[in-house]
Amino acid sequence: MGLKLFLNLSGPRTIYSQDHIHPILMQQTFPISDEELEALAKNSIDSVFSTMLDRTAVIDKVIKVDEDNHSEGLQLPMDANTPMIAGTVGFLGNLTGIIYIFMELPLAMEATCKLLDMEESDIGVEDHELVNDAIGELTNMIVGTFKNDLSNKGYECRMTIPSILRGSNFSIEPAEVALRRIFKFDCDGRSFVIDVLMKEEN
Amino acid sequence: MRLKVLTVDDSKTVRIIVKKSFKGFDCEITEAQNGVEGLAMAAKVNPDIILLDITMPVMDGVEMLTKLKSDPALKSIPVIMLTAEAGRENVMKIAKIGVRDYIVKPFKEDVLVDKVSRVVDLRPAGEAAPIQKKIDDPIDILVVDDKPAIISQITEGFSHTPWNVKGVSSTGEAIDFCQKKLPDCIIISLSLPEDAAITLFRIIRSNAKTKYVPLFGLSVKTAVEEQARAQQAGFSTIIHKPIDFEELESKIGKAVNLDASGKYFQMGEGYMTVKLPKSCNAAVVNEVSTYLKSKTSEAVNAGISRIIFDAQNVASLNMDVIKLLLHSMKTCRDLSLKYALTGNDVVIEESKKFEESKDWKFCDSLETAKASI
Repeated sequence: MGLKLFLNLSGPRTIYSQDHIHPILMQQTFPISDEELEALAKNSIDSVFSTMLDRTAVIDKVIKVDEDNHSEGLQLPMDANTPMIAGTVGFLGNLTGIIYIFMELPLAMEATCKLLDMEESDIGVEDHELVNDAIGELTNMIVGTFKNDLSNKGYECRMTIPSILRGSNFSIEPAEVALRRIFKFDCDGRSFVIDVLMKEEN
Repeated sequence: MRLKVLTVDDSKTVRIIVKKSFKGFDCEITEAQNGVEGLAMAAKVNPDIILLDITMPVMDGVEMLTKLKSDPALKSIPVIMLTAEAGRENVMKIAKIGVRDYIVKPFKEDVLVDKVSRVVDLRPAGEAAPIQKKIDDPIDILVVDDKPAIISQITEGFSHTPWNVKGVSSTGEAIDFCQKKLPDCIIISLSLPEDAAITLFRIIRSNAKTKYVPLFGLSVKTAVEEQARAQQAGFSTIIHKPIDFEELESKIGKAVNLDASGKYFQMGEGYMTVKLPKSCNAAVVNEVSTYLKSKTSEAVNAGISRIIFDAQNVASLNMDVIKLLLHSMKTCRDLSLKYALTGNDVVIEESKKFEESKDWKFCDSLETAKASI
């Protein structure tokens, strides 16, 4: 059973899923090069991780998702059995798109503890609300930095409110998008993935 | 007095981070999750500063800021935007509505504290606050204007107060004055040549001695461009010419944190009198409400058990005044205090038009009121 995410999200929400995600953007040529996009992704992660978490992360893998090369869907480049949390924020404007941050739950918990200056025992494994909110805000900051860099390149956009998904064994189905890249990051041995989908508006 | 900070953000995480950032300071943090809650909370607690996100459900930060700036009772509250939304267009749009500063997420906690401390007097927890001056204490107001007529007008306008007005015509003279004597408040004409008002603003704000002195811009109401530039530079309060001295006096009182309770509350001969002024607008009602609880406690502790609400000077009865009186009378009943109302013919006539006040009994003088309780 597929799950469609739209850009005009009306409020914060959490979706529990082990489903496929169907991006809904259309195929187009794209004005931003792969190198530029990688730099945008890297800068947004560097900025947020160093400022808010006192941590660094490095790009481990970049996957180009084309219409032809993944017609049967793409498994996320992460351990399928590890529970994950995914934050997502869209942006609308000259460039329209959506960015997903898929994070292993242990890393999400560490990030929440650091952000809120709490111990894991203070939060509790079952306190989804606090972890969801923290990862939602982290995603908001990452996409915000990404979007602000786009703005400096002349692409004005505004952001949607973050949404959160929880689950495991995520896979990504083929999508008709102008540009889609998946960046796998390593943060002290823990993994997370950024999935960027964008198209240029006429 | 503890500094009141209102954080308006849909993210609980950000609200927790804000609380954490100000942990070591003498602050009281209140929270709201969106613009609607933010406006309600601002009206309720009258914060010293608001930290406002942009992208929020229900009502976003831009709409809340616009409504805040169009509300006479709230528009002087300084706002710092704390948001992931930067970009030139966004910054320009918000600067035009009037914000004191802009912090882009991600942010370091010390940056947040530093920016807030540039706008309000942030003190470490436990540090004694300076003794609060009263509304009838002498304070020093520096007016920087190259038009002597305006300086004379302001001096004349405050002649009924014990306030000292010193006028200078240039930024150099203003800086010299501040080095010799720290004024309680500075009013700067925004029409000084070569953007001197903005230059002076920056000099004053960057000097450790003067950075907390309240600064008001002075401008002709129609000089919109000049005012927008000043707001972008950081002026949070702009006084319009021709000057409404009642409003200016109230704004200075608030900015300098003067205890204005003496204007409304008097105690003696076993009574506390709450004297309402001629113009009872929302700002006045808000000010009276702020002091009501503490002054009533003070009266009770002084052995006073009779209160007179004196509306003889009130020009017109409005719903804000009625609500204030209803609340005050309920407080009296809760504390078993005796009370009486006085009013003029207009007030008595207008009170009959409202369901809440149609049965109120007014005395025509303080003497009659005292005799009735």
